[in-house]
Parts: sequence; structure tokens; C-alpha cells
Amino acid sequence: MHTVIRFIIAGIIVASGLLVMFGLSSARAQSSVLSNEQLSLIRQNCQSTKSTLNQLHMTDALLRVNRGQVYEALSTKLMDRFNARLSNNQLDNKATVSVSTSYNSALNIFRSNYKAYEERLSDTLKMDCSADPSGFYWAIDDARSKRERVHGDVQRLHRLIDDYRSAVNDFLLNYDRTQR
Amino acid sequence: MEDQQNHAELFSADDQEVPSFWDRHRLSLLLIITVIVTIVFTTVSIVLYDVSGTVQLDLSRPGYRSISSQIDHDTTIDEYSAFGTLDREAIEEFIALYEEQAAKAKAVDAFNGDPLNPELLELVESSTN
Repeated sequence: MHTVIRFIIAGIIVASGLLVMFGLSSARAQSSVLSNEQLSLIRQNCQSTKSTLNQLHMTDALLRVNRGQVYEALSTKLMDRFNARLSNNQLDNKATVSVSTSYNSALNIFRSNYKAYEERLSDTLKMDCSADPSGFYWAIDDARSKRERVHGDVQRLHRLIDDYRSAVNDFLLNYDRTQR
Repeated sequence: MEDQQNHAELFSADDQEVPSFWDRHRLSLLLIITVIVTIVFTTVSIVLYDVSGTVQLDLSRPGYRSISSQIDHDTTIDEYSAFGTLDREAIEEFIALYEEQAAKAKAVDAFNGDPLNPELLELVESSTN
């Protein structure tokens, strides 16, 4: 019993130490990057940066709506229906269903990652970059990494679109073989 | 005769029951319940609107009006029927529809580039300088 308690206490101490170290290192990294010159540069370009971010915010929102419609239609109007048709004809649809399930899950991840990115960018736009240039800089940095994640999601969706096409092609080859 | 009169008075006094608190405030209660239900449903809808990500798709919000006209409304595609026999012709029909839509989906490498690069935003001194 005492050994278990010792292990728990040791675990808590190690975890706290790691947290403190991580916090210190990230704080040091942040403070070490921004010099006074940089902070004044951010203050100086504050309004023009906000204007650029605002434009990006709007064009990305439009992109999200237009791309989202195309990705959605591909799933609901084509993939799901083809899977259902295979199933209705008692044909093997395991491969196509597997790809379309991955596609739908990637689409959900894309939606939630875009949401996180949009919220971060909106928060950044609300910040007072003259009063808190450092916070503004790191908020943009965070939004940047979130946007990269959204781009990664788009690339994953494109790969899955190709995978579904390959799965249909394989099905067609098998179908031809069985018809002979 | 007098007994009968007394009995009638007593009977009519019993018949006129004093209305309870809820009976007297029935209308007010109805209004309060209606307002509470409205507030609850409105709150739930706003929370769902925000949490589900619908807010990000709503370009009718203030500030987005200028771009809402650029929404691509030509997204109608020929739906593939989930019913019917499946022969080679039906599969080829699907492939044609799918390739058309897939080309449309992959035509744009959305969210590429690095527009939030601090150098591009001139938040740091350019490394090329």
C-alpha cells in the first residue's frame, strides 16, 4: 500500500516538474524571439496587418463554403449512393465503404479544424495589437499552424478521393472477371 | 320559513369558492412560462449554431456581405441513383459522374500557401534583407 502511494506521489512530482519545465521553456522561447525592435515593428504595422488578416479571414470563409459544398456533394450524392447500390445488388462493397468512411471522418476533421482556425483568427482580429504586440504575434503564429492543419486536411481529402476512385476501379475489374 | 332562508344563504356562501393564488394569476403565469420557454429555445439554437460550425458557413453575417455574392451556387450535380440493377453501363455512368466531381474538388488546393507568415505580414525583419 505504501509503495503504491509512493509511486503516485513520485508520479505527481515528475509530472509537475515536466509541466513547469515545459511552461518555462515555452515562455523562454516566446520571450527570446521578440526583441524590442520587433515589438515596435509589430506596433508600427499593426493596422496594415489587421487589414491583411481581415481580407484573409473573408476569402478563407468563402473558400470554406465553396470547397465544403463540393466535398459534401461528393460524399452524399455519389459515394454513399454507389455504396448503397452495391449493397442493394448484394455485391461486395467493403472496400468502397471503408474508403468513404475514412473520407467522411476526414471531412469531419476538416470541419472541426477549420472551425478552430476561424475562431483563432477572429480572436486575433479582436486583439489590440498596439497594446499587446507580443500576444498579437503569438496569436497569428497559432492561427498559422491551425491553417496549415486545415491545408493538411484538404490534401488528405484529395488523397481519399483518389482512393475511392481506385476502389471503384478494382470493383470494376472484379466485376468483369466474374462476368466472363 | 326563516330556517329555509338561512339555509339558502349558507348554501350560496359555500358555493362561491375563493379563487386560489394560481387561479387569480393564471394569465401572468402563462406569460412567464412562455417567456422562459422562448429564452431556453433561443439559447439552445444559438449554442447549436455556434458549436456545430454553422456560424462559419453563414456569410450573411455582418462583415461578410461583400463576399456572399461570390458563393458558388452552381454546385448541382447529377445524383447517382442508389437503386436499380448494377451492370457495366451503370458502373461507367458512376465513374463519369465521379471523375467530373472529383476533378472539381481537386481543382483548388485550398488553404495552401503561407499568408500568415510573419515575414509576409511584415511583423519581423525579412531574412532576405
